[in-house]
Amino acid sequence: MLTYIVRRIVYSVPVLIVASFLVFWGVRTTYDPTAKYRNNRDAARVIAEKKHELGLDKSIVAQWWTWLTDALHGNFGTSYRTNDSVSSMLRHALWPSIQLMFFGTIFALIIAIGVGVYSAVKQYSAGDYFFTGTSYFFIAMPAFLFGLLAIALLVTLPVEKFHLSEPILYSVGLHSNGQSGFNLDYIRHLVLPVATLVVQSVAVWSRFQRASMLDVLNADYVRTARAKGVSERTVIFRHAFRNALIPLVTVVALDTAFLIGGLVITEQIFAISGMGRLFLDSLQGGDAPVLLGWFLVVAIFVVVFNLCADLAYSILDPRIRVS
Amino acid sequence: MTFTRRTPVRLLIAGLAAATVLAACGSSSKSSNSGSGSTTSFSGTVPQGGAITIGAEQEPDCFDWLGTCAGSSWGYWMAEVNTIPLAIQASGVGPDLKNTPGPVLAGEPTVTTDPVETITYKINPDAVWSDKVPITCADFQYTADQQQNSKDIYDRTGYTGIASVTCPDPKTVVVKYKQGETFATWQLLFSGTVGIMPSHILKGKDRDTLMKDGYTWSGGPWLAKWNKGDSIVLTPNANYWGNKPHLDQVTFKFLADTSAEFQAFKSGQVSMIYPQPQLDVVDAISAGLPDANSVYNAKTASAEALWINNQKPPFNDKVFRQAVAYAIDRDAIVNRLFGKLGVTQAVNSLNPYVVKDYSDPNAWSNYKLDLNKVNSLMTGAGWTKGSDGIWAKGGQKATFTINSTTSNKRRELTETVMQQMLKTAGFDMKIANQKASQLFGETAPNGDYQMALYANNLTSIQPGECNLFCSQNIPTAANGNSGNNWYRVSIPELDPLLKSVDTNLDDSVRKSDAAKADDIMAENQVSLPLDPLPDIVIWSKKLVGPIGDNSIEGPFWNIDQWGVNS
Repeated sequence: MLTYIVRRIVYSVPVLIVASFLVFWGVRTTYDPTAKYRNNRDAARVIAEKKHELGLDKSIVAQWWTWLTDALHGNFGTSYRTNDSVSSMLRHALWPSIQLMFFGTIFALIIAIGVGVYSAVKQYSAGDYFFTGTSYFFIAMPAFLFGLLAIALLVTLPVEKFHLSEPILYSVGLHSNGQSGFNLDYIRHLVLPVATLVVQSVAVWSRFQRASMLDVLNADYVRTARAKGVSERTVIFRHAFRNALIPLVTVVALDTAFLIGGLVITEQIFAISGMGRLFLDSLQGGDAPVLLGWFLVVAIFVVVFNLCADLAYSILDPRIRVS
Repeated sequence: MTFTRRTPVRLLIAGLAAATVLAACGSSSKSSNSGSGSTTSFSGTVPQGGAITIGAEQEPDCFDWLGTCAGSSWGYWMAEVNTIPLAIQASGVGPDLKNTPGPVLAGEPTVTTDPVETITYKINPDAVWSDKVPITCADFQYTADQQQNSKDIYDRTGYTGIASVTCPDPKTVVVKYKQGETFATWQLLFSGTVGIMPSHILKGKDRDTLMKDGYTWSGGPWLAKWNKGDSIVLTPNANYWGNKPHLDQVTFKFLADTSAEFQAFKSGQVSMIYPQPQLDVVDAISAGLPDANSVYNAKTASAEALWINNQKPPFNDKVFRQAVAYAIDRDAIVNRLFGKLGVTQAVNSLNPYVVKDYSDPNAWSNYKLDLNKVNSLMTGAGWTKGSDGIWAKGGQKATFTINSTTSNKRRELTETVMQQMLKTAGFDMKIANQKASQLFGETAPNGDYQMALYANNLTSIQPGECNLFCSQNIPTAANGNSGNNWYRVSIPELDPLLKSVDTNLDDSVRKSDAAKADDIMAENQVSLPLDPLPDIVIWSKKLVGPIGDNSIEGPFWNIDQWGVNS
């Protein structure tokens, strides 16, 4: 098992190195971090100084190599934009995003699995048609539109209609002023961004779960179990459900990157200072060091999630062995 | 004075804004009290205590106001103005802004010119930092030294010509310029984005390291705490020598998305917003905002214009530039954009309203829609209309491209309306918008454009057009492509007038020369002024006090005088 994990990590290193160069090249050729000084009266001096200071007067390969060697020594550099250390910026941004992704994934899995199993067991029932229609509706709806409509309908409308002194659900940040920790205020802030982040995932995952469950329910061993007089509840939850989870695990692991992409929209709308907002701010500022650090963190996330998925297979199906 | 080109941040989300305000516009107003003017009157007692939250569209990159990481308008409005003493302030609201000595000074500085330009400041005897250490001449000396000699300074304008800053006594500052150097806009010293820094805290240390993430001291009525990524919180400076703030706390919450910002305001999560004047914002206001006050200020520090590359064919021909100007009904465009706010007429100077004394506000007033004039100018220059109705000359059609910033509905609408007008007059205008970073970082400075639509904004009540229109400031290889005359204007009789505005110490001469310069630029139609880009301030009726728009220092410049009703 350990050998397998180490091998997977070693395989990902060249991928990360090539990806880091592509990102560096893309950012540096697209965004000029000194552009914001062009309208300064002192522009010639400031731009010349900044180009030298940031090493922008060297070739892109040389700039990237400097970044890579520093990164290998644990120094991810300094932000072009804020003069802050990249590590510190990533650390600050990571925590709110982890909260959103953690609660989002839990919430999405519970809903998606529940809906998927119900739709498969009650195939072609009114409930199945309802969930199918609803799923396609949310798959088609862009996350930003869902988020803004949710704010309008669940935050603003109740305040206006019922003259509330404060909204039931909040749409700004993860805590009210002066609040912190896991409490009711936090939950009231968390509901809408989490729902916005995973609304499409819930819809997609529930369809996968339904299809996978239907496959298993029609398998020979399930028919055998039924023929032997095993109760329907036992058939579904003991024999079918576990096997039907395997395809979903694959999809969930692959969707990690999709969720991280969703953070850009969610955190912008709900004013949350996480990885999504850091990405957007850094991209607009041509802040290559931060973007490289960002991509590295995201890549590690994706690798780890995929590794977890591989390990989960062996837990769900003992016939699968990691080697 | 520094011109900045406002670059809307919402690259990704702004384009979605129109859809959003469906909900914002959906409910009708109960008691919207929209001020059509730029100020609101207030009389009465301001309550003591309470806390408010304000929506802020941008988070600053850093708090080191002298460093290159500064430059954020919102950072200046929220934190710098309220914590850093400024020698000269742009005080007032609406169109009535004027340069006045800040509370840190005991009175108006005196200026003498013989034998060299000398400015003498008298510091308020009561002025102290938040740790009770007096604000003295040493702080001015430290600030000037940083501006002249420190690395990584955002803008040294006005400081490089200083010969000495001396202290006859701790509360008197004498600034002397070098022989032959003059700085007509001396009001910029220790003012605007370059406030007075505390020498006793920063001298001999790394200023950027101590300040960039926020600081615990203040020389203004408030202390500012920066919760990165979330908010800036102001609390009263207990040792402030002037009037103490009424409020116990002001929180500026970072809300980058305008639509979400509106919803946050409507649901009471924030008490005030200061949105950019986008179409959806104008629509939302005209639909009514419940329990809200608002002011719209069209006499601002901004001027949106059709900026023309005077060296790029076909705009290298003055007659062609004039003909295009006569083909556009600028008033109709402005009315379409901001008519709901009562702003219906185009501006007629490239100088924003706040520096009206240094311009001819009617310089471009002759350029009104006049198709006969277009025909006579074009035919006189040898152009003839083809079967497609487009002018042509020597096989070359009257076709050009306009660039603006993507995801800006207001500018997109402006372009679409213009395109129709120009087609009627025989011009074929193509639209090719770009990301703000590309337009302002590459395309415009490098001169790779024919016409561009964007706004220039002033950060002080001082003109500075030589920076934008003197031929020496055309970006070239010699100046590292970093001159600010992106319009490639090169008119020999214009340069001395604009230089005079920057250097002549006789204000009446400056004003006269600035007006003459405006007229020359209008005659040559170097670019075409369009609209004033109105400022919009919206706040809850629970807030009381002298609230209004200050287009230089932001609407929060006097927040110490505000209160909140419970």
